[in-house]
Amino acid sequence: MANDGKISFGGYTRELYVHVDKLSYNKMVPPIEYDAQGNEKPYRPASIAAGSGDIYRLLKPYLSVRFNEQFRAVTPLAIYLVLFQLFILRQPIADSSVITAGLVAVIVGLMLFMEGLKVGLMPFGEALGTSLPARAKLMTVVVVVFLLGIGVTFAEPAIGALQIAGSLVNVHQAPYLYFLLTQWSGSLVLSVGVGVGLAAALGTIRSIYGWSLKPLIYMTLVPVLLIAIYMALDAELSKVLGLAFDCGAVTTGPVTVPLVLSLGIGIARAAGRGSDAMSGFGIVTLASLFPIVAVMVLALTLSLSYSPDEIITAATVATTGLGQIPWYESSPGVEIVGGIRAIVPLVIFLLLVMVLLLGERIPHAKIVSFGIFLCVIGMIVFSLGLSYGLSKLGGQSGGVVPAAFTALESVQGSPLYVLSFGLFIAVGFAWILGFGATLAEPALNALGMTVESLTSGSFKKSTLMYAVSLGVACGISLGVAKIIFEIPIAYLLVPGYLIAIGLTYASNEEYVNIAWDSAGVTTGPVTVPLVLAMGLGFGNALGAVEGFGILSMASIGPIIAVLSTGLYIRWKIFKSHAMSDDIAETDGVV
Amino acid sequence: MSTRDFTILTDVSMITCIIQRGKADEVVQAAQDAGAQGATIHYGYGSGVRERLGLLGLAVDVEKEVITILVADDQADRIFERIYFAAEMDLPGAGIMYLTKLEKAATYIPPEIKEKVGRAS
Repeated sequence: MANDGKISFGGYTRELYVHVDKLSYNKMVPPIEYDAQGNEKPYRPASIAAGSGDIYRLLKPYLSVRFNEQFRAVTPLAIYLVLFQLFILRQPIADSSVITAGLVAVIVGLMLFMEGLKVGLMPFGEALGTSLPARAKLMTVVVVVFLLGIGVTFAEPAIGALQIAGSLVNVHQAPYLYFLLTQWSGSLVLSVGVGVGLAAALGTIRSIYGWSLKPLIYMTLVPVLLIAIYMALDAELSKVLGLAFDCGAVTTGPVTVPLVLSLGIGIARAAGRGSDAMSGFGIVTLASLFPIVAVMVLALTLSLSYSPDEIITAATVATTGLGQIPWYESSPGVEIVGGIRAIVPLVIFLLLVMVLLLGERIPHAKIVSFGIFLCVIGMIVFSLGLSYGLSKLGGQSGGVVPAAFTALESVQGSPLYVLSFGLFIAVGFAWILGFGATLAEPALNALGMTVESLTSGSFKKSTLMYAVSLGVACGISLGVAKIIFEIPIAYLLVPGYLIAIGLTYASNEEYVNIAWDSAGVTTGPVTVPLVLAMGLGFGNALGAVEGFGILSMASIGPIIAVLSTGLYIRWKIFKSHAMSDDIAETDGVV
Repeated sequence: MSTRDFTILTDVSMITCIIQRGKADEVVQAAQDAGAQGATIHYGYGSGVRERLGLLGLAVDVEKEVITILVADDQADRIFERIYFAAEMDLPGAGIMYLTKLEKAATYIPPEIKEKVGRAS
């Protein structure tokens, strides 16, 4: 061996700036203890008390990683909105300090909530998914999944954005919409929950029996479109359509997707279909279609029980007859109550199923309860940030952007640009917002990787990400155009879904699964409130009746984009096959 | 019959280092700066100190990265020590590392190095 590779011991020790101690591990081994019967007691190590310096060093990377994750999701969007407002529209940001504090609250709240979800709620979901199908009958499983679907909807952070949106709706212009978002907001969320629950139950049954997704999509879309067309013909009901379709996009957020999926996949695996890689897909699709039906049915029920005039009189009485607002209905109180109401019922339900139905103890009870505590705190902080930061910023931007092409009282010197260029700016603003927000969504990256491995590389991750982002961007632009030109939402949605049905019919099962699920992942807890508030602010500034519908356009966009891309890829593969067949009789392996 | 060359490396030690998920790159970099030639990383999960830290244990990831680095005996202590500090092994729950003496190893050795080293010994 080489002599020149050796280091002298002296040089080596000089290089060490460390004092080395040796300690025999033998001396650290605990003595064996015996109980009264002479049996060996199992060894239980004592807990370790970390010093304050160690606690800091342990927590710093832990917290900074999680903080940065949310920071990266929120900040670019916020900066984009602020820069656009300052430089293109040359408008100052009102309440900038409040909005900044609100955005920080959103980041911190999401961070706490996601961590709480991971340590507090997800272990429940996983435990249920693995042991429930083995212990209970199919019927019980389906009922539990259904109830869980309702529970997770209430816990979904973006749902809170809907309630805030209600305060921006004018009761005289859209009485049904106003009533649904204020007096009936509980029923609204419940009906969305029922929709998600039914979707989860059906999705689970589908994965057990291995049904194809295509017929389920047709069967769901037929009533969706029929009711939508019926409602579009009624002057009052048509104003609720945008809300109904937006609800579908709101439901598939960070709580619903992982919890329902972990349960669904666990059940599918227990039924022996776990090897089918596609079994996890589809639940998300159904969970974004069923709530649309549920909300439309709720609106129909409302229209049967009250006339628009009754609602307007009731609302005027309610607003004039207000005395003192109780603490739980004014700002910090309403968020605290909301946060507790969102999480606690879900936890109690999961606990009951675990203890009563499965007879299992809660593993790591201390850590799980800490996680649930984090969830509640995170939810409260997030909702506070939502009202003071995201919704405010989105509403403000939405309210100012129309100044680019039309005269607004609040903006001096408006219209800022010539009509055609101003319109271009407004629609372009929405396009870039949608494209950037979607491309930055972490869930899309994850979906992209799954898809690439599922299609063995023929559908590349970047292709999917760009297709989805492009779809969302065009969808949001169309949604904004809908508000500007007051196009009835049905004129956009019905053809959109008809195209989607046509493409679904032409595509193969794999791409159908991917495409319909990609719509669900694009609408995260940051995008949803921002886009909702922006649309409503936009609508208000223009004096439009309602500003809903942007989100629903953002979910149909990627479906069409991904399906078309899938067809294009298949055509390309087909063409290259045909060419190689011409040259030689190849073996036909892709 | 044609003969084929087969060179066995002796005086090899193995450092195995089990740390929290996501810290491997940093540790491997430190080891390479100290003269290690390569590293193999695989994933696993483990427990120990984490459960004894109470709530603070949440800050410790259950998922681990296991780094295996083969080093020459002469470098072994030096690299071992560098890794210890790069991985912050002095923190509760940070991980564990150990050094194993290996009998032999074999891998690709650049021909010119083989010639040089072979002549020197």
